[in-house]
Amino acid sequence: MVHVFHYQDHYYIFDTGSSSLHECDEKGALLMREKLGEAVDTSCVTPEERAEYEADFAELEKQGLLFKEEVKVWPPKSNEVKALCLHICHDCNLRCRYCFADEGAYHAKREFMSLETAKKAIDFLIENSGDRKVLETDFFGGEPLMNFDVVKQTVYYAKEQAAKRGKKFLFTLTTNGLLLRDDVADFLNEEMENVVLSIDGRKEVHDAVRKTANGKGSFDLVIENLKNFVKIRGDKHYYVRGTFTSKNLDFSKDVLFLADNGFDSISMEPVVTDIPDLWITKEMIPEICAEYDRLCDAYLKREAEGKGFNFFHFNVDLDGGPCLSKRVSACGAGNEYFSVLPNGDIYPCHQFAGDKEFRMGSVFEGKLDEALRNKFKNSCLFTRKKCDGCFAKFICSGGCSANNYHFNGDIDEPYEITCRMMRKRIENGMHILAVRKAEEEKR
Amino acid sequence: MNKIKTVARPQITGCGECRSVGNQSCERIQ
Repeated sequence: MVHVFHYQDHYYIFDTGSSSLHECDEKGALLMREKLGEAVDTSCVTPEERAEYEADFAELEKQGLLFKEEVKVWPPKSNEVKALCLHICHDCNLRCRYCFADEGAYHAKREFMSLETAKKAIDFLIENSGDRKVLETDFFGGEPLMNFDVVKQTVYYAKEQAAKRGKKFLFTLTTNGLLLRDDVADFLNEEMENVVLSIDGRKEVHDAVRKTANGKGSFDLVIENLKNFVKIRGDKHYYVRGTFTSKNLDFSKDVLFLADNGFDSISMEPVVTDIPDLWITKEMIPEICAEYDRLCDAYLKREAEGKGFNFFHFNVDLDGGPCLSKRVSACGAGNEYFSVLPNGDIYPCHQFAGDKEFRMGSVFEGKLDEALRNKFKNSCLFTRKKCDGCFAKFICSGGCSANNYHFNGDIDEPYEITCRMMRKRIENGMHILAVRKAEEEKR
Repeated sequence: MNKIKTVARPQITGCGECRSVGNQSCERIQ
C-alpha cells in the first residue's frame, strides 16, 4: 500500500511494501492521492506537469520503490525463551496516581522476590534458551531498588551460570530514583546494559501525579539523584521515561524541560489508566497530534543548533531496521519474553502480571501452559486484521498485546487511540529523516 | 526523476539476535 501525508509544507509518499520514503510537492501528493482512488481536485496541475509526475511514478515502480507487493513472512515458531522481566519487588516507595501496577502491589499483597526465586528464574531462562547466546533480564517493580541486595546477588549468579554455558546476560533496571545512592548508582552503571529512569518532566507536572506515601510530590527528592546518575553514565545506555496524562497535553514542554536538565535520551509515553481525570480520550487526539508537531519543530531546531537529543518515538530506521520476521512478531510477550512475579509465577509480560487468566506457570514448576503460550505464539501482525490497511504496520508491529487486551478484550484487536498516536509519531519521524537527509546534501 | 526525491530506500530473517521495532536496527546487519 501507499500512504500520502504532509508535515506543514513538506509532502511525502511512503511505500509500505518496500519501506521507501519519497518527498514531493503538493501537486505530486495530489496526483498520488488521485492515483489511489481519492476524489481530489487536480485542476491546478498542468498536462506537462502531470506527464512528469507520471514518469517519476513509473520509474519508482520499476525500481521496486512504489506499489511494491508486501511480503508475508510468518515468524518462525521457536520455543526458545529470550528474556525475563523479574518483578523483584511488588512494593514501591511512591504512590503514582496512574500506576498500572497498583502502586507496585499489582492488586495483591506487597511482596519482595527472594534470592531463591530469582535464581530459579535465571535457571529457567538459561534452561529454556536453546542455542541463544545473549539473554536479557529486566529488574522491574514496584521499585526494584527496595530489594537491591537481591538485584545484586541475582546479577552475580546469572553471570556465573551464563559463563558456564557460553552465554551472556544483558541487564536492565527501571527505577524512580529515590534510592539511587552513590553505591547503588556505581553498581548499576557497572552491571546494567540499560537503565530506565522515571520522571515526568516539569516539577509541577511530576509532583501532581508522582507522590510519596505521605502524599507529597517527589520531584525534589529524585532530580539530583537522576542527574548525578546520568553524569556518571557517560556514553552507556539509559533513558528517562515520562508519562503524560490529560493534565499535561502540552507535554512537549516536559520533554524540553528534561533536555534542558541534561537528559539527552528521553521517552514520553501516553498514560494507560482507567482514572477518568487522567485518561486520554479520542477527543484529545487532535491536540496531542498538534503537540507532537510542536515537539518535532523544537527537536529539529535544537538539532540544527547542535543541542540535539534523542526522543524515543521519533526514531524510525527505514534504511536498516530489523528483518521482516521481527517486524511481524514484535515484542514476543508470552512466547519468548515473560514476567516472573515475586512468588515465581510466570505471566506473558509485566502488563499482564497478576491477571490470573494469564498465569502461565511458575519457575518452580519449570514448564509453561502451552495452550496459553500458543495463543501468543500464533499472534502476530497478520492476525491483527485491523492492521491490514495501516501504513505503519511494519514499523509498529501491531501494537501492544496488553493494551489491546485491556481496552478491547482481545490481544489481536489494536487500540485505536494508541494507533492514532503511533501513526502521527511515525510520520513525524519520517519528516525528521527527510530534513536530516536534506541537511546532509547541503554540506 | 524530476519531481520526486527518494529519502529512504532500504536494501536474513528471524535469527533472534536483536534486542527485546520501528527504531531498532538489526545487529547482524550492522
